[in-house]
Amino acid sequence: MRAQFVLSEIFIGLRRNLTMTIALVITTALSLALVGSAMLMRKQVSEMKDFWYGKIEVTIFLCDPVSDTGQCHKTAVSQDQQSAIQTALYANPVVQKVYYESKADAYKHFKDLFKDSPDLTKNVSPDALPPSYRVKLKDPKKFDVIQSEFQDMPGVDAVTDVSKGLKPVFSLFNGIGTSAFVVAGFVVVASVLLIFNAIRVAAFSRRRETGIMRLVGASNLYIRLPFLLEGALAGVIGAAIAAGLVSIGKAYLVDQVLAPNLKFARWVSWADVIHIFPVLFLIGIVLSTLSSFFAIQRHLRV
Amino acid sequence: MERVVKNYPTSTRPALDDVDVDIDKGEFVFLVGSSGSGKSTFLRLILKEEVPSAGRVHVAGKDLSTLSSWKVPALRRSIGCVFQDFRLLPNKTVFQNVAFALEVIGKPQGTIDKVVPEVLDLVGLDGKAQRMPDELSGGEQQRVAVARAFVNRPMILIADEPTGNLDPQTSVGIMKLLDRINRTGTTVVMATHDSAIVDSMRRRVVELSQGKVVRDQSRGVYGYGA
Ligand SMILES: Nc1ncnc2c1ncn2[C@@H]1O[C@H](COP(=O)(O)OP(=O)(O)O)[C@@H](O)[C@H]1O
Ligand SMILES: [Mg+2]
Repeated sequence: MRAQFVLSEIFIGLRRNLTMTIALVITTALSLALVGSAMLMRKQVSEMKDFWYGKIEVTIFLCDPVSDTGQCHKTAVSQDQQSAIQTALYANPVVQKVYYESKADAYKHFKDLFKDSPDLTKNVSPDALPPSYRVKLKDPKKFDVIQSEFQDMPGVDAVTDVSKGLKPVFSLFNGIGTSAFVVAGFVVVASVLLIFNAIRVAAFSRRRETGIMRLVGASNLYIRLPFLLEGALAGVIGAAIAAGLVSIGKAYLVDQVLAPNLKFARWVSWADVIHIFPVLFLIGIVLSTLSSFFAIQRHLRV
Repeated sequence: MERVVKNYPTSTRPALDDVDVDIDKGEFVFLVGSSGSGKSTFLRLILKEEVPSAGRVHVAGKDLSTLSSWKVPALRRSIGCVFQDFRLLPNKTVFQNVAFALEVIGKPQGTIDKVVPEVLDLVGLDGKAQRMPDELSGGEQQRVAVARAFVNRPMILIADEPTGNLDPQTSVGIMKLLDRINRTGTTVVMATHDSAIVDSMRRRVVELSQGKVVRDQSRGVYGYGA
């Protein structure tokens, strides 16, 4: 009867500790995986920016008989106007490079770009596309300077920024990254509290041992170390699982789903993913060790 | 070793009030008095488990109030403790229970394998080293506790009602053991309210009542009028 009672006590304790251990490892893994994803999201945005800003161009479309916008009034840009524009471009300090794209070049580019869609190219005549200057800027953020200078020059139809269409994409990724950080923050707090609680329970269930250790003069470190290691171990396991989750996310979501369908940018590489692993382990170990430290500080008499 | 007032914050009356007792090395001292008179508090002060509200406690010439906290383990290594409730680890054998006290202060395995059987022999438990605590009688369990307290050869042995849970005959055995330990030069301070034991031993008696020392007699007996 007594032995049975004791045995069932042990099993209850074990099960309680087991479920708690599983719970805290899962939350630790989840929070670190979120932190990792958020970091990769950041990386992705800056990667895209590098990629696009690296080849960014401002396009200055010149007047053409087909257009009635800007200063055009359905007349082509004159030779004088065009050389005035070109001179101004070369003289401008924010401009790095200027390419001229004639009507013929534009048509060729267009056909190249949409060579997979013959329906589209069939309906566009070689005359339909205006000539333009493709301008590379020294600083991509100086687009406004160019726009205000050239927008109203005679012979200019429109000044457009190629990166404009990407802004929503950047802010989408930025938004996802920020939300991931916020959610990660909450889950990190939850996992820290769970570890705190688990170590408190462990300290309570081992109070006999620690009480004797104290009396026979074991050093504080010796008494505390097992608890700290227990916490740190939870952090390590959590970080390892998080690293696995992030890798799975990279292999499936990025490599299989996103990258094949959205070819407009470079995606985070395996090197980027592996780079965040040490950070995950560091955060996992430091947070779990700290929370177990405070748990034993409060609940283990030394 | 002291001149001490101890106030517990939750209590109106001091647990110890202006206690001034000097215990010499190698002495055997009984601390007597009714329940709640402050005996356990007295012993906890020696271990620096509690700190005095006023006054100073000196152990082996060191003032405990100026002893930094990282030196407390060293202090406790020089003091062995035995309690009424034995405080053994139920999931460890007798040998492991005694060895535990050495393991956790970092003694090498070779030393442990040598001194644990020696001390078990001394307390009369040779041959029972592999038993579990619940396979032993109360007196045997207390012998294990004494072995654990003494295995590191402390200067001082503190015993808080070590016979409180034992029948008189078994108690006599434990007292003989403590006496033998005392004869090796170890100071023994024992709190008890077992008058028969105190009377039979004829050692120094310090009586506490409501936290005050009301009697300090060498070769005394438990009650007045001896
Ligand atoms: N941790 C504590 N907190 C508050 N009061 C305590 C505490 N320990 C003991 N006391 C009080 O101090 C007095 C002396 O207790 P104690 O030293 O245990 O006496 P004894 O061991 O002689 O029975 C008692 O009145 C008790 O209620
Ligand atoms: Mg007591």
